[in-house]
Amino acid sequence: MSGDLDLEQRYRRVLRLLPGYYRDKWEEDMVAAFLDSWLTGDPDEDSVTMEYDRPTRQEIASVVALAARLYLGGAATPRRYFAWGQAVRLAVLAVVLVHATQGLALLTLLTWRRHLAGWFPALPASLAGPVPGGAWPTVMNAVDCVWIVIFVALVLGHHRMARVVAALAIAVDLVFLLQAQLAGLLLRPLGTWSSWFLLDLAPVLAMAAFHRDAPPAARRPWLLALPGYYLLVPVPVLVIQATGNQAWLPDSAGLGCLVVSLACLAHAPRALSRPRQAAGSGTWSLALTLLAAVAGAWRIVSLGSYLHDPHLINVSLAELLILLAAVAMVIPDAARAQTAAPAPPPHPHPG
Amino acid sequence: MTGQAFFVLTALADGPRHGYGIVGEVAELSQGRVQLKIGGLYGVLDRLAAEGLIEPDREEARDGRLRRYYRLTRDGRGALAAEAELRAATARVVRVRLGLAGGEAAG
Repeated sequence: MSGDLDLEQRYRRVLRLLPGYYRDKWEEDMVAAFLDSWLTGDPDEDSVTMEYDRPTRQEIASVVALAARLYLGGAATPRRYFAWGQAVRLAVLAVVLVHATQGLALLTLLTWRRHLAGWFPALPASLAGPVPGGAWPTVMNAVDCVWIVIFVALVLGHHRMARVVAALAIAVDLVFLLQAQLAGLLLRPLGTWSSWFLLDLAPVLAMAAFHRDAPPAARRPWLLALPGYYLLVPVPVLVIQATGNQAWLPDSAGLGCLVVSLACLAHAPRALSRPRQAAGSGTWSLALTLLAAVAGAWRIVSLGSYLHDPHLINVSLAELLILLAAVAMVIPDAARAQTAAPAPPPHPHPG
Repeated sequence: MTGQAFFVLTALADGPRHGYGIVGEVAELSQGRVQLKIGGLYGVLDRLAAEGLIEPDREEARDGRLRRYYRLTRDGRGALAAEAELRAATARVVRVRLGLAGGEAAG
């Protein structure tokens, strides 16, 4: 089919990646500029160009980057795109916060294990476990801890640095997972791989929402959230493990479902009482809905590892039901948050 | 102001230009260091138009397509002049600190 198109139509097809309101404003201009970059004014040469040439990869990449910036919009974009942009930014910050607090928990455990804080009681046997040798454990510990740096960089507005370091971190994770998979060392491959795709790769890709048009993150609350979440979740988990009560702990996917459910319940009073005219500020509801979708997908995929155990299946289904009930309370507000405002006025004609 | 926005405004300082004309002028002004892609250019133009720093000037038909020209607004001229002054002052400080000729004379 693409053989029937000329260069102008090929460009128009690429520009379909952009939101409609933006195409209404800029498509004709962009097509003219694209074609100006090819056409020489020689009718024969231009005819061949129009028939056979195609948009370059760099041009397509520039349109894709522009589309990402517009769909995950900054303050100047229509309400729907701004709401999605804010929701994705909040969801990414929340996932990176969880990674960062896991890094803090690991630092706590390493400090405890090496008895660096002499006044602290010795590490209980339930947490001691065998310490694997080789370079990988050290590398993976470093990767876990580097999420603290990524989180702080993201909150302080060093977006490019956060993206680069996060991309390196998940690349190392990927290499580790591949070699563990090939060596048959992954205990729950479905849960582990779904975790990498949903909690590592997806948030790093979604960091595209932190572009130059995006409003800065609220520094103080997010920086306070780091110790806050650490004390609320990883520390109690460590305590439960230290006291030998691991059987009471859900697995990571289950814990994710419960944490998102609690966040939805905590946000529900605001989401349910918000007047309709203030719906544009419901981006937290949209972010929680995104997080619930991620947690739910993780729970469902990782169920595959429990097919042999009906009890674990039942527990997992209960976690899913709790998540669904909790997110149902914020979904109406999330839907209102992305209600499309009228598109910006069309481009003014030259006067 | 981002580097790209500064170059786009500078490209329009001596008269209206259309999209691809701006790309060429920015490449020349930056001695080839800034190669704007069309997607990037229209991201910048959209922002500058929203901020009231540029506006459409006229449209010209060429080969059945309309080329739209853009010009600086009064605010755009002011913003560009302020940014140019800031960059010149920074450059003067750099020259002084590096002990390069002309640093103190210019300051």
